Amino acid sequence: MSAADGRHFATIEIGEALGPHEIVIGKARARAYAAVCGMGSGRFHDDEAARAEGLPGIIIPGNFSLGLLSKLVTDWLGAGPGRLKRIGTTYRAMVFPERRLLLQGFVTHLEPESRAVEIDVWIENEDNERLVIGTATAEFPPGD
Amino acid sequence: MAFDQSLIGKEFEATEPVTVSAEVIGEFCRALGEDSGRYGRPGPDGAVVAPPSFAVTFRNTDAFFQYTPRFGRGFDAGKEVEFIAPIRAGDRITLTSTVREMYEKTGRSGTMTFVILRSTLCNQRGETVAHVDHRFVHRNPGPGE
Repeated sequence: MSAADGRHFATIEIGEALGPHEIVIGKARARAYAAVCGMGSGRFHDDEAARAEGLPGIIIPGNFSLGLLSKLVTDWLGAGPGRLKRIGTTYRAMVFPERRLLLQGFVTHLEPESRAVEIDVWIENEDNERLVIGTATAEFPPGD
Repeated sequence: MAFDQSLIGKEFEATEPVTVSAEVIGEFCRALGEDSGRYGRPGPDGAVVAPPSFAVTFRNTDAFFQYTPRFGRGFDAGKEVEFIAPIRAGDRITLTSTVREMYEKTGRSGTMTFVILRSTLCNQRGETVAHVDHRFVHRNPGPGE
């Protein structure tokens, strides 16, 4: 399936994987995200300010992690009829820029009546620690 | 930090409407790495649609932040977002927030208070576009703290 075709409910199987996608978020990009979201706290922009709070340096906002996992799902859905209906995230540990991160997920449940797909998603670091975990629901229209 | 349970259901003053521009959606897409072509540029109907997670970028009123933890005393534990309708350039978004839930849990590190605040996002037509549940954890002071 290409992203141009998009996913269709009938072809999705439990256990189907999303990713893994490897990314490294640079500090400039982390700052840009915080800036466009109006998140002015020094811990997202300035290493000195972050260290003054006891952190090793700037951190990636939790909202950014949520955004990356949302994008993992919408990229997987592609241009088809499915849409991201909900996502829930739990921030288990801080996410730092300039580290290798893996975005991953898999389909856990299919609900034929409501045409919903339940997905587990997470971000892990290079030590295989799950820094952010979550669940998402994708929804497909009747007749798809 | 102790909470008054009677605050559950408390509604904060609604925010002033924020007009969403195509430029801000574009900046958000660039920062997020959104390059699918489905967001951040005019679609078939000419509208510039924001990625779903744009819904978490709207800021609450200052009163809301009385219920969020100070750094070192707690943390943002997560969010639950329900996406109801797309947010498009030109939309005027208003947030209304309530205290949805409060509860305590005691573990090895002491007692923690969980506070869930719900923000509902509405557009200029009064349509709800998203619900965002913010989950905050406050670490309660131990003896002598």
